[in-house]
Amino acid sequence: MKFLPLIWAGIWRKPGRTILIFLQVSVAFALFGVLQGLKTGVEHVVDEARADLLLVHGSLSLIDPLPLAMLEGIKSVPGVRAVVPVELSGAIYQNPSQKVGIVAIRPDEGWLAAFTFTIAPDYDTAFRNTRTGAIVREGLLAKYGWKIGDHIPLIFTTMQRNRSTDWAFDIVGTYSDSDVGGGKETILINYAYFDEARVAGKGTVKHFNVAVTDPKLVAAVADAIDQRFANSANETRTESLRELAQSQMQSIGDLNFLIRAIVSAVLVALLFATATMMMQSTRERTPELAVLKSLGFTDRDVFLLILAEALVVFIVAAACGLALATLVFPLASRYVMGLSMPMIIVAVGLAWAALVAVVSAAVPAAQAARLNIAAALAGR
Amino acid sequence: MNFIRQFFGVLVVGLSGITQRIAPVLTIIIGVTCAVGVLVSMLAMGTGARREEMGDVRDDRVILATTGGRVWQSDISREEAAAILGMPGILKGAQGEPVVVFESEVPIEGRRRVTGNRIYFPLIGTTQTITQYLPEMRFTSGRMFQSGLHELIASNPCARQFTGFEIGDRRSIHGGNWIIVGHFDKGQAQQCVVYADVDSIMSTFGRNTYSSVSVRLQSSAQFEAFRDAVGANPSLHLEAHRERGVMQDEFKQLNAILNFVSYFVGTIMAIGATLGAVNSLYAIVDSRRRELATLRAMGFGSAAIVASLLCESMLLAIPGALLGSALASVMFNGLAASPFGYSFQLTVTPALAMIGVIWALAMGFLGGLLPALRAARVPVTTALRAI
Repeated sequence: MKFLPLIWAGIWRKPGRTILIFLQVSVAFALFGVLQGLKTGVEHVVDEARADLLLVHGSLSLIDPLPLAMLEGIKSVPGVRAVVPVELSGAIYQNPSQKVGIVAIRPDEGWLAAFTFTIAPDYDTAFRNTRTGAIVREGLLAKYGWKIGDHIPLIFTTMQRNRSTDWAFDIVGTYSDSDVGGGKETILINYAYFDEARVAGKGTVKHFNVAVTDPKLVAAVADAIDQRFANSANETRTESLRELAQSQMQSIGDLNFLIRAIVSAVLVALLFATATMMMQSTRERTPELAVLKSLGFTDRDVFLLILAEALVVFIVAAACGLALATLVFPLASRYVMGLSMPMIIVAVGLAWAALVAVVSAAVPAAQAARLNIAAALAGR
Repeated sequence: MNFIRQFFGVLVVGLSGITQRIAPVLTIIIGVTCAVGVLVSMLAMGTGARREEMGDVRDDRVILATTGGRVWQSDISREEAAAILGMPGILKGAQGEPVVVFESEVPIEGRRRVTGNRIYFPLIGTTQTITQYLPEMRFTSGRMFQSGLHELIASNPCARQFTGFEIGDRRSIHGGNWIIVGHFDKGQAQQCVVYADVDSIMSTFGRNTYSSVSVRLQSSAQFEAFRDAVGANPSLHLEAHRERGVMQDEFKQLNAILNFVSYFVGTIMAIGATLGAVNSLYAIVDSRRRELATLRAMGFGSAAIVASLLCESMLLAIPGALLGSALASVMFNGLAASPFGYSFQLTVTPALAMIGVIWALAMGFLGGLLPALRAARVPVTTALRAI
């Protein structure tokens, strides 16, 4: 207990210097927090992806067209609860920078089970009863000033039979998507209408979404579906949404290397800066420390005193820095989704702060502990 | 004159004392080194990406896309394709054939050499005119694919990164057996790209429209005439884009991300380094208190002292900047990176090193400002009495 006032006094002995060290440590750990948040954000996207929803696509790629006729074949596989054909397209609204993703689906009975979407029942009913109906992602209404009931014109990348790329839809509702990686600016439309109206690629889909009767059967059902179409003209690969997210995230593999390199540069710079400062600071305090020792403080006490001062400053500063990082997340989320800082990152950050504090204070603290009272008091 | 003499006097004294103040001086240098090193390495990604995406762009190349649609994902029918061949201004090849490239792209799957991870890369069905359309394309081994056969040619990055791309390797694609017959380099490109005959691809994958059509003009000046001719033809639902514009659009987002990340991280590190420099410079100024007070008692002006201290701190930052840029260059120049799913080589250029030096000077200036002002403001009597 008697140490606390001493530690406090030691910290505020030179307020300017302490504040600068404090800021430096905060800044370093703010950066640490943002970078780690980025990394966990990426991992989060994978973890959150549903492992119990399957996607059946061509064995070669995600965009290889499959015939709609495969629907019955997939349905006949035991364990399959719902199969929904999905076709993808792209569109722009008014000008080329306003891109909208188009997902054409066939809203058969129970189709929502095969998706991560949430749609109010009356929107769903309206969607099924309106050929040109569209359900838009929440947020798109506000972004483009649309209202439910609006008739919206879109320019598609898919051509209609009359060779026009101008399409129009009636907004019948909104949906939300629990998949973190799901498109933010996406519109759902009716596959039947889309397929009939388009000029090319009729009767094909990009993939089928499949819901299973029992989540434990996912792997078996996936294998069974691929077996069913093996050696046919349309070999399939069936993957869960999580497996898909994983393979997408592999493409940003170098991110970890990058983050590690930057974090090490930050910590090295920090370590060096603080170590010299601690050195300087104990040198200046030599007479005071000698007085403490002559009052009966042991070598160990003095050593711990210096160490404790550093630890307090560093850990509080690191905590501030990590808190600061969470404030930056909304800004960075424009570029990367799912930024988050779980407790484990906070713990790792604080552990690093403690380590840097101990390493940079160890040498000066040891010097202080070895101080010869008579020599120090005589100013030698 | 007096000011300049005093300025240099204080500066020389200050610099000659560096060896006695080695710890704070090293702190400044190492802090700046790390900050500049990180900034330059991060910016090197941006330069590398830009060099790769824009390095091979030619003004005589034009890409046709469905009106309003995405550039590489158009639906262009064979009738439209035939009409394009007769457009004005198109470069003629050795046998008098127009240099027009019809392509149909399908992603296929590869496995990374080291990790075995699955990754998709484009298999592009194209026409024989591709070699005239892409003069930067060079075969390093093997030969061009033959029309109508199931033959593939792969860019060298494919062979380096993925398994199954050696010459003579066979790949099973859509039930057919395809053989790799050539390797090529494509200018600055570091992406894996595989070409095959467009008709073979389209019949294999059951397609009847091209996903893109590209044209090489006789000269870049023909662009307006060509674009207007395409626009005026009622049977074409196509727009002509210059390759430069297409590439810029395509990489706008990647560039924005890289720039944001570089300057965001760079700024935070610079703030940290500046704070460290402030602390060190306070220590330096404190240890020279007596000397500076004596100078002022002798009649040296405050302005000269402040200016020379600022100059000193900026001079101390420069070795850090050079060291940081050198480290970035040695460690990362030429390194292939693929953050955000797009791979390119990091490129450290003198221009980037210059940016590093400018940042370092700014850090030195901002870091030196407060300590220098304090040194000049402390009353002479107080400073001398404190000894």
